[in-house]
Formats: sequence, C-alpha cells, structure tokens
Amino acid sequence: MKARSAFSIQRDVVFAIFVREMISRFSTYTFGNVWLVLEPLLMMTLFIVLFGARGQGAYGFTEAPIFIYTSFLTFRGLWASTMRQCAGARGGARGLLEFRQVRLFDVFMARAFIEGGLFLIVGLIIALGLVWLGYDPWPDDPLGVLGYCSVLWLLAASFGMLACMVGSIAREVEKLVGMLTMPLLFVSAVLFPMTFVPRQFWGYLTWNPVLHAMELVREAWFSNYTSPVADFGYLFAVTLACLALALSSYRLTWRRVVAQ
Amino acid sequence: MIRFNDVSKYFPTRFGPKYVLKNIDLDIPDDRDVAILGKNGAGKSTLLRLLGGVDFPTEGRIQSNRFISWPLALTSGFQGTLTGRENVRFICRIHGVKSNRSTEEFVKEFSELGGSFELPVSSYSSGMKSKYSFAVSMAFDFDTYLIDEIMSVGDSGFKKKCENAISNKRENSNIILVSHNMNLLRRQCNAAILLAYGRAEFYESVEQAIFRYECL
Repeated sequence: MKARSAFSIQRDVVFAIFVREMISRFSTYTFGNVWLVLEPLLMMTLFIVLFGARGQGAYGFTEAPIFIYTSFLTFRGLWASTMRQCAGARGGARGLLEFRQVRLFDVFMARAFIEGGLFLIVGLIIALGLVWLGYDPWPDDPLGVLGYCSVLWLLAASFGMLACMVGSIAREVEKLVGMLTMPLLFVSAVLFPMTFVPRQFWGYLTWNPVLHAMELVREAWFSNYTSPVADFGYLFAVTLACLALALSSYRLTWRRVVAQ
Repeated sequence: MIRFNDVSKYFPTRFGPKYVLKNIDLDIPDDRDVAILGKNGAGKSTLLRLLGGVDFPTEGRIQSNRFISWPLALTSGFQGTLTGRENVRFICRIHGVKSNRSTEEFVKEFSELGGSFELPVSSYSSGMKSKYSFAVSMAFDFDTYLIDEIMSVGDSGFKKKCENAISNKRENSNIILVSHNMNLLRRQCNAAILLAYGRAEFYESVEQAIFRYECL
C-alpha cells in the first residue's frame, strides 16, 4: 500500500464507482450496456414523434420536432434523471460503503457525471438522426446552451443530494420527489414556450427555477426566440442556495445517514 | 499503534440509545495479533467496523497510522450483479492499484473458483463467497487485517490454506481476528481483547482471555 493524497483517493474512487455503475446498471438485461444509451434514446424518439408530428409550425421560431428535442432532452435527460439518480444514491451505495475510501459523496459525484455524460451522448446521437432526416438541430449559441445546461445539471445534482439527505430522516421524501417529476413537466415550459402562456400566470410559474433554465436554454438554442421571463440571476441564486444547503446538510448528517 | 481515546458507540433504538461500547481506552500494539472475544451482540463486529473506518464512534476518537484492511466479513461489499473479476477490479481501483491483472489472477488462483470467477457474485454459494472474499483481501498488502468469522465457512482444505496465508501475512503485518473457534484463536493470536458489559479488556495472553470468556 502506498499513501495517496486525499484528492487522488477521491479521483480513484469516483472513477471506480463510475465504471461500476456503468457496468452494473443494465448488466442483467439481454442487450446489456446498450440500454444506457438506448433507454433515453427510445424515450426521446417516442416523444419527438408523439408531440412533434402534430402542430407543424405552431411554434413560430422553429419546427416541432426540434422544439421537442431541445426541451425534452434538457428536462428528462438532464434535470429529471440527474435528480432521480442523486436522490437514490443512498440505496445504490449500500455495498460500496464497506470500504473506508468510499464516501456517499463519491457516489453522488459519479452518478451526476454519468447522467451529464449520457445527456451529451444521447443529445448528439439524436441530433445526428435529425440531421439525417433533414432538420437543423444545432444550437445557434452552443456555448450558451452548454453553460445553462451545466447550471441546470448542478441544480439537479444538488437538489437530488438534498432530497437524499432529507430522505434519510423521513423516507416519504423519496416518494414525494418521485411524484414531483410529472407535474414539473407541465409547469416548467417543457411542452410550450412561455410566450404561449397568458401573462397573468407568469408571476406564479416563474417561481420555478427549472422553468428559467428551460427558457434560457431555449433562448441560446434559437437566436430568434426571446423569452419574456427568463432570469439567469434567479436561476443561479437558487442553484447556489440549493448547493450550499445540500453540501451543509451532507456535512452535518453523512455519518448518521451511512450508519443506517 | 491503534489507539482508542474514550470511544463510545451506541445505536439509537425504540427504547433509547443502546450502548455497545462505552468509554473505551485501549491501545492495540503493532506487533501483536489480536483475538476479539465476546458473546453474540457484545460488539465484536462493531469494534471491527470502527477499526475499518466504515462506522464511526458516537463519542471519542480512534487514532492510527496504519493501513487497515476493510472488515472482512461474509457480507463484504461485493456487488452481486458484477462478476468476481469485475469486483476485484473495482477494489483495485479504489485502492489505487494499477496492476490489476496480476491481482485478478492471484484471486482467481487462490480462491479456487475456476470458471465461476467470471460469473456474477450473487450466484456463488456461501462457501464460495467466503473463499472469494478471503482471497480478495489476501491480494492486497495491508498493515493490519480485520477478519470477522470468515474462516468458519470454507471446506477443511481451504481452511488450512487460509491459515497458511494468514501465518505468512503475520510475518510483516498483524491481524485482528473475530472467531468463536478457540483453537484457531490460540494458534493465530498472541493477545486478546475481551468485550463484555460494554467494556473492553486487553489481555497479553490468549489463554487467560479465553478462561475469562468461558467464565462469563
């Protein structure tokens, strides 16, 4: 055994969990790891066909399949799955915590990285498919899209982490978080841009930080779309607050959470 | 030296805190192989988990400057859906061992699993599992090995092999062994800790500790 620095231990552990999760998540399925990409790919394709086929040209600033592609990919691929995986990290970490190097935080990190990576890969594959079908899925401002997406990713990871820590006190929280995804889909401007929503509802809907992320990504993706409500300052502040809350609750309670 | 500074450990239960260890001050010397004795529920496994750094004392501190193995028990942290080889690879990675090929081959040979090494760990019988997890821990060089009852499951040939491996390891490292097999403790250990009534007592002689244990 050689002594390693704390940083190199953490790097080794996060990488090890990363690989282990990749291998084990679908290892019991016939097609194995293909499902890592296939599952989000199938779901995205289904939604694009389902919602994109009708309402041609209804959005004004882009074609329906591209609109659904940009919003569903960001919502399901980035927000929902990162949040759910991080919230479920405690259950997935059971066997891992028999080793002193492995901490619950490493599981959060590995899972968040997996979801972020899958988002990029799946997004790229579907974009290529859309190009093949004759659409133009590329963002007008790729750096802006990546930037807003990483803020949303951070928000999802810290919210999931917070849910996981609170869920250790009352398991009901896990159920609530699981139920949250569906209604959030309807109030986060995923299926429609905010310009479609009557002005008197803006005040209520804009409390939701995910809506801001969706609108900001949309703005960066389509240069001819300007969101009436998007506010990066609000999104960033909520993300920072969520992250600070998650990190401090982790620091305060991780020993008790692990001991269960 | 592993030093316990006023260590207490309790588990919260419906009836209030249940103390397993209370205000323990203890030094475990580097050159001793320690047997841990105690009745069921006396805190033997908890002590081992505290030493292994996977559980934490409610009060007090444990100080040590040694490389201590993970607590080697039947339910060690192997993922059932992964194969034996993949689990070894994972453990190599988290320990920063780059030469995982040679470690894998060592485990495959030592555990006598043959082709089963490439099958998911969940398909192993309990005997196979104990052989496997014992082999995995022997593949790494620790200063202190924590062994929890694991040698009581394997067949007699393998038990002999385990004892030989432990004897070899004892030349450069020390072991901390939990077992209900007194003869094994007499052969492998030269000091003992007796756990009873939430207290821990260090004995220089195993015989004396066993005598006290049997009088409890």
